[in-house]
Amino acid sequence: MTDAALLSVSRVTKRYGPRNGGLTAVDDMSFAVERGEFVSVIGPSGCGKSTLFHIIGGLTQATEGRVSVEGEAITGPHPAIGMVFQEESCFPWRNVIDNVAFPLELAGQGRASRHATAQGFIDLVGLRGFEQRHPSELSGGMRQRVCIARTLAARPRLLLMDEPFASLDEQTRMLLGDKVLQIQQQLHQTTLLITHSITEAVQLSDRVIVMSYRPGRLKRTLAINLPRPRTADILVSPEFGTYVAELWNDLRQEATRGLAEAEG
Amino acid sequence: MSQTLLPRLVATILLLVAWQAMALSGLLFRDVVPPLQAIASGVGGVLGDSGFYANLAITGFELAVALVLGGAGGLIAGLALGGSRFLSQALERWLNYLGPTPKIILFPVLIMMFGVGAGSKMAMGAVSCFFPIAISVAAGVRGVDPKLLQVGRSLRAGRLQMLTKIYLPAMLAPLVNGARLGFGVALIGVLLAETKLSNQGVGFLIMQAYQRFDMPRMYGLLLVTVAFAAAVNIATDRLAIRLRGSRVRANK
Repeated sequence: MTDAALLSVSRVTKRYGPRNGGLTAVDDMSFAVERGEFVSVIGPSGCGKSTLFHIIGGLTQATEGRVSVEGEAITGPHPAIGMVFQEESCFPWRNVIDNVAFPLELAGQGRASRHATAQGFIDLVGLRGFEQRHPSELSGGMRQRVCIARTLAARPRLLLMDEPFASLDEQTRMLLGDKVLQIQQQLHQTTLLITHSITEAVQLSDRVIVMSYRPGRLKRTLAINLPRPRTADILVSPEFGTYVAELWNDLRQEATRGLAEAEG
Repeated sequence: MSQTLLPRLVATILLLVAWQAMALSGLLFRDVVPPLQAIASGVGGVLGDSGFYANLAITGFELAVALVLGGAGGLIAGLALGGSRFLSQALERWLNYLGPTPKIILFPVLIMMFGVGAGSKMAMGAVSCFFPIAISVAAGVRGVDPKLLQVGRSLRAGRLQMLTKIYLPAMLAPLVNGARLGFGVALIGVLLAETKLSNQGVGFLIMQAYQRFDMPRMYGLLLVTVAFAAAVNIATDRLAIRLRGSRVRANK
C-alpha cells in the first residue's frame, strides 16, 4: 500500500458468529484505490461484496484488518466516503432538490446556498427541471440518480456504490452507466463500485477486483486498459469483449459454486 | 354521496318518528323519553345559555392541556420504547395491558394528587391519551425504513437530526393515527371525570341536569356534546386523509 492510496483495505476479514450462521463473509481482503481511479469489485451473489461495502462505509466493523482513507483508520462513517446504496433510498417526503441538499442541511448550510450547490449536482446527473418533483413522480433510474447526486453533494473524496443499478432494467442501466462515466470524467471522482455485472465493471473501471464465492477472497485484479473518455460505444468494441470474456472465465467457477450451494 | 343520502335520510326519519311515538305513547315514565319539541327547546336553551359556553371553554381547556401533556409523554415514551430493544422488552407488555384498562379507576388517585378542580380532569385526559399515542409511536419508530436510517448514519447525522429529519417525517402516518386515537380517549377521560366529581365543565352540566331531572336540557347537552366531538373527529379524519394522501403520493 503506497502513501498515495486514497483508500487502503488491508487484510480485512469479517466473520459472523455462530448465531449468525458462523459464516466468513470476507476473508483476508487487501487492495487499494488510488486518487482519481475507478475500481470495481465484482463477484457472484453471496460473495460478501455488500459486507465489504458496509465495512468500508463504516457501518459494519471488520473482525480483523484495517480500512483507512487518506491514512486515517475507519471506525465509523467517515466524511471522506460517500455511500450510494443498492436499494432506493430517497426520502419520499422530500422533493428532488431537498433530497440532494440533505447532507448540506445536516451540515447547517443555509437554504439558498445549499440549494445552489444541490442544483449543480442535479444538473450533473441530468435531472434539471425535476427539482420540485417528489421521488414517487420519478422513474427508478431517476430516483437512483437523485441518490447519487445527494451523495456527491456531500463532496466525498471516495464515492462508494453498492450495485446502484441492480434494480433497474437493462437499458436504464446502460444509460446510467454512461451518466456515471460522464460524472467521473467531469469530477475526476475516485469511485469504488460494487457490482455483479461484468459489462458494467468493464465499461466503467480502470481496474476490476474479482472476489471468490464463500469465503469472499480476492481472486484476481484485472486492469482495464480501454481509452478514456469512454462512451457507451465502447460496449461493442472487440477489446471490450475480450475483457468481458476474461472476467467471465474467472467468475464462472465462482458463480457455479454459488449456484450449487444455493440449490443444495 | 347521493347514493348514501337516501338510506341515511330514511333511517333518520324512522328514528325520529319512533322516538316521537314512544314519547307520546305514555308507556315510559314521563320525561325519560321527552318529545322531540322538548328536546329541540332543550338544545335551544343550551345554545342560548352563556353559562354553557363558559363550561364548554373549561372542558376544552382541560382537554387541550390533557392532549399536550399526554401527547408529549406518549411521544417521548413511544420514541424510547421504539428505539431501545431493552426498554421495549422490559415495558411494552405492560403498556399493551394497561392501554385498554379503563383509566377512570385511577380517578380517585388523581383527585388526591391533583385536587377536585380542573387538575384531576386534565390528568385523567392525559393518562387516557398517553397509551394509544405511546403504542402507535413505538410501532411507528420500528416501522421506519432501515435504508433511510442507513443514509442518515452514513452522512453522520446527529441524534437530534436523525429524529427530526428522518424518524419524525417517516412516521407521519402513525403519528397522525396516534393523535386521532389519543384525542378520542382524552375527551372520554375528561368528560367522564367531570361527570364523577366536579363543579364545572360540560360533564358537570350534564350530571346537574340529570340530578334536577331536567331531561330536555340533559338531552340538549348530550346532543351538543356529541355534535362537538363528532365535528372534531371529522376534522382530524380529514386532516389525516390529507396528510396520508400527500404521503401516498410521496411513496408510490
